[in-house]
Amino acid sequence: MSLPSSRSETAWQRLSPRMLLVHPVHELIRELPLLIGGVVLGSTTGNQSWTVAVLAWTVAVGAARWFTTSYRIEADSESGQVQLRAGLLHRKVTSVPRNRIRSVQTDARLLHRLLGLAVLRVSTGQEARAEHGFVLDAVRVDQVPRLRAILLAESSQPVDAPAVESAVSNTVLARWQPSWLRYAPLSLSGLLTMGAAAGLIYQSGVVGPLRHSRLAESALDAAQRLGMAATVAVIAAVVILASVVLAALRSLLTYANLVLWRRADALHLRHGLLRLREHTYDMSRLRGGTLRQPLLVRILGGAGLDAVMTGVHGVGESSVLLPPCPLSTAESVLTGLVGDPNVVTGPLRGHGRRAATRRWTRALGLPMLIGAVLAVFTLASSVPLWLWTAWLAVTAWCALLAADRIGALGHRVDSHWLVMRSGSWERRRDCLATAGIIGWTVRQSPFQRRARVATLVAATAAGTKRYPLIDVPEDQVWAVAAQASPWVAESIWAIR
Amino acid sequence: MVSGILDGVDNRGPSPALVGMVDPAHPSSRRAPLRWAIGGLVPWLVLAAGQAVWIAFDRRLLWLHIVLAVFTVLGAVISLTVVPLWRYRVHRWELGPLAVYTRTGWLVQERRIAPISRVQTVDTYRGPLDRLFGLANVTVTTASSAGAVHIAALDVAVADHLVAQLTDIAAIGAEDAT
Repeated sequence: MSLPSSRSETAWQRLSPRMLLVHPVHELIRELPLLIGGVVLGSTTGNQSWTVAVLAWTVAVGAARWFTTSYRIEADSESGQVQLRAGLLHRKVTSVPRNRIRSVQTDARLLHRLLGLAVLRVSTGQEARAEHGFVLDAVRVDQVPRLRAILLAESSQPVDAPAVESAVSNTVLARWQPSWLRYAPLSLSGLLTMGAAAGLIYQSGVVGPLRHSRLAESALDAAQRLGMAATVAVIAAVVILASVVLAALRSLLTYANLVLWRRADALHLRHGLLRLREHTYDMSRLRGGTLRQPLLVRILGGAGLDAVMTGVHGVGESSVLLPPCPLSTAESVLTGLVGDPNVVTGPLRGHGRRAATRRWTRALGLPMLIGAVLAVFTLASSVPLWLWTAWLAVTAWCALLAADRIGALGHRVDSHWLVMRSGSWERRRDCLATAGIIGWTVRQSPFQRRARVATLVAATAAGTKRYPLIDVPEDQVWAVAAQASPWVAESIWAIR
Repeated sequence: MVSGILDGVDNRGPSPALVGMVDPAHPSSRRAPLRWAIGGLVPWLVLAAGQAVWIAFDRRLLWLHIVLAVFTVLGAVISLTVVPLWRYRVHRWELGPLAVYTRTGWLVQERRIAPISRVQTVDTYRGPLDRLFGLANVTVTTASSAGAVHIAALDVAVADHLVAQLTDIAAIGAEDAT
C-alpha cells in the first residue's frame, strides 16, 4: 500500500459530483422524522432556526457522503482488486478480487436518470445479495460502458480497445412488446400490492376517523340496500379489477422497453420505464435456463425465462431474462442460448406408472380423508348440502392438478444437457448444462422405497443450486446421472 | 447389501447403459451407534426433566402427565436403540479415484456422489460427544450448496487419512470449480 511506484497502484477516484445533488435529497427523505421533529420544535418554540439547523445538518451529512466515498480499480485483472471506501463515522473498505467478478448491473431511479447517473453493482460468485455487494452510487451514464468493460475484462482480452468493441455486432434476442402486458395480471403480484397497501393504510390510522365519516356511512347504506351477496360480488369485482390494473402497471413500470441482446461473450439485459435497470452477464457463466409457466400464464400460452448462471441468484428478479411473454419468444431465446432446439422443445421421457400413482395418492389423499369424515358426520347427524358440493369441487380440482402434474413430469438427458419438467400450478422446464453439475443426490423416503422410485437431485453452482427430479423409477435413476456425468458412469461403483 | 468393490473400470468407447450403483464399502466407526444413541437421547432427557419439574409443581391432569411420560419414554427408547442401529446399517462411505460416494439417513435415505475434481474444501468437525468417543465428521464441499458430502462418525485415524487422501487427489484451488 505504501509503495506509490507500483504499477497496480491506481489512484482513488470519487463518484460523480452530481451526487452532491442526489445525496442531500435522499438524506432528507431518510431523516424525515428528524426533520418533522425540527419543524415541530421550531413552530412550538417560535424559533424557526431549529428547522434551519436540522435542514442544514441533513444536507451537510448528505454532501459529506460524497466527500467520504471513493473507489479504485487496480490495473491487474488477475490478482488486482476493486475497492470501495465509504462511511462517515464507520469507515468501511469493500474489496472484491477482480477475477471473481461475475456480473455487472446498473440501476437508475428517477432522480438518478434525470441527472444522467446510474448505480453500478458488481456481483461475485458466492454472495449475490445487494447489501454486501460492491455498489458504486453513482457514476455518470456515459462512463458505464467503459467501467463495465474494465470490470468484466478477462485477462486475455484487451481492456481499452474501442475499435474491437464496435466491430463486434450486437444481436438482439428479444424486445418488449406491449402485448406482453396481457400475462401480467395473471400473477399474484397485483393482489399482493393491494394487500400491502391496505396494511399500510390500516397501520397509518386513517381508518379510525374514516369509519364514522359520511363516505363510510353512505357505503354502508348502499350495502344494506344491495344485500349481502351483491355486496360481496361488488367488492370482489373491485378487488380483482384493481389487482389486474396494479399488476399490469407494475409490469409496465418494471419491464417496459426491455431489450435482451448479445454481444460477443456477454448477455445484456435492459428494462424499466422510469427506473432503468441494466444487467450484463458473462456468457461463460451460463449453465442453462428455466422456462417458467404459472398455470394461468400457461393457459394463455405464455412463459417466462430465467437464467441459470453462476454468481447470479437463482430466484427472484436478478435472474429473470424475460418476464411472462409468448411461449414461442421464450423458447426461441432459450434455444439461441443453449444452441439445441431439442433441449427446449423436444419430447421428454415420462416417469411411468408408479410415479403417476404417487401423484394421485398425494393429490387425493387429503380430500378422501375429508370425504370419509364428512360421510361419518352425514350418517351420524346431518351435514349441509353445500359442504358436499364444496368437497366435490375441491376433489375435482385436486384430480385435475394431479392429472396435469403427471402429464408434466419428465426428463431428457444426453451428454450435454439435462432437461427436467414438473409442476402444474408452477410448471417449470429446467435446462441444465451437464458440465455444470457437480454432484448427485438420490433420495428416498420410506414411501418412495416402497414404490421403487427416487428423487434425483442435481447439484450445481448456478441458479437455484438444487435441481430436483422427483419420482424417477429406481432402476433408471443412476442411468440418468451416468448419462449426464461421465464421472458417475466411470466410477468404481457403476454396475453395467 | 453388497460390500465388494467392482474392479477394472472400462472407459473406452461408449459405455453401456448403467444399471445401478454398488453401495459404498466402508461403514462408520463401530463406536458410532453409541455416539448416535447418546446424542439422540439428550433432547428426550431435556423433555423428561421439563416434565419432572411440571409434575413437581402441578399434579392436576394426571392422565396428561401419564400420556406425555409414555410418549417420552417411547421416543427415548426408539432413539436409543432403533435409530442408531438403523443408521449404522445405512451409513456407508467410500473414496474412489474420481469421486466420493456416501449413503446416509435412516427413515429417509440419501446417496450422494461428488466428483473429486470439483472439491473446494475438506472440513473435519469434532463435537464434544465425538471427542468423547474418538470420532470425527468429514464434510467435503463443492461450489454448490446442494452438493456437500457429509461423512459422519469416523474413527479419528480413518478421518485423518481420508482428509489427507482427499487433499492429495483434489488439487484444491487449481481451478474455479464452478
